[in-house]
Amino acid sequence: MSAGSAILSAAQSTEPVLRLTTQARIVAAVLAIAFMVLIFELIRRHRLQERYAIIWFLAGVAMLLGAAFPQVLELLAKAMGVRDITIALFSLILFVLLILSLSFTVILSRQAGQITRLAQESAIERLRQEQEGSGSQADRESL
Amino acid sequence: MRTLVFIPAWNEEDSVTGVIAGVRQCLPDADVLVIDDGSTDGTAAQARAAGALVASLPFNQGVGAAQQTGYIYALREGYDICAQTDGDGQHPPQELARVVAQVRDGDADMAVGSRYLDPDIAEAGDYRASPMRGLGIRMFRAIVSASTHQRFTDTTSGLRALNRRAMALFGERLSSEFADVEALQRAVHQGLRVKEIPVRMLPRAGGDSFLNPARSLYYIYKTLVVLLAGHVRPRGSNSGSQ
Repeated sequence: MSAGSAILSAAQSTEPVLRLTTQARIVAAVLAIAFMVLIFELIRRHRLQERYAIIWFLAGVAMLLGAAFPQVLELLAKAMGVRDITIALFSLILFVLLILSLSFTVILSRQAGQITRLAQESAIERLRQEQEGSGSQADRESL
Repeated sequence: MRTLVFIPAWNEEDSVTGVIAGVRQCLPDADVLVIDDGSTDGTAAQARAAGALVASLPFNQGVGAAQQTGYIYALREGYDICAQTDGDGQHPPQELARVVAQVRDGDADMAVGSRYLDPDIAEAGDYRASPMRGLGIRMFRAIVSASTHQRFTDTTSGLRALNRRAMALFGERLSSEFADVEALQRAVHQGLRVKEIPVRMLPRAGGDSFLNPARSLYYIYKTLVVLLAGHVRPRGSNSGSQ
């Protein structure tokens, strides 16, 4: 039997080695709740728009679920073929953060485009007002 | 035919007056509009004093956004032809008039002045570019020509004239990354008749060259991405806008 297949069968047969301790679960739950309170507070003070808050609430809920039902994490680790739950958790969080920051860049790009269009409209509108102003002035002068 | 000549200008107070005077001399019937792209110097005041219309963007948005402002204005005000020329004085107004004539006579939907099309002019003009710029020029030339199956020599030229069909293609699209080079590709893909004519250009009146190596590299990167996206975009319709 080759070393490769030995590792493979070990990975398949072994349960995830590290389980979350009760203390870790409590800390995670408290942090998740504190996080969601912070989000809510930001919305209340109009520092964060509701439409952008939803992804953060979902992230908070996911944290809470992970703390309450660590079996979910174990299942996930198994599905990913990772023996260590913490590594599965970290990879997952990194991936979610990557997607989140990408979505911010998308939002940023859209808003940059909107700002450009606003600048263009404002430039054209001011020019038109100037033209109207000078036009009516010329009319008055010709009368 | 009502003609608008617009001049995108960012801090060009030293040269803009001369450019406006040149345009008025060579195209006396055309309206002249300076798109002041968030200048912090006296560009807008100089342009007004020289008798041009001035549209001031509240902050610098880049030459693409400034050009688009010109197209939008020309479209909404019902101009038949709209032409653009640089604010730094490198485009002789006689050459601008020749480019405009191409569109006015119906020979093209969009005409572009090229300093490289006629080898003799290119030789005499000695348009020496930095190595980075030279690389970009050759790359864009090859890519645009391949993508459009039409030969282009001066893809970054800012000396252009458009009829309403071409304006509509560039005016109402929301994009902050509008690029000279992509405009050629897009126009040909949408079935417009795009024509390059050989022109003479002058060295910049003064100041530093706009593109240092880092900015050149960024410009090349940006244009390559835009060209690639433009190449795979569906053609023959305007449905892809917005």
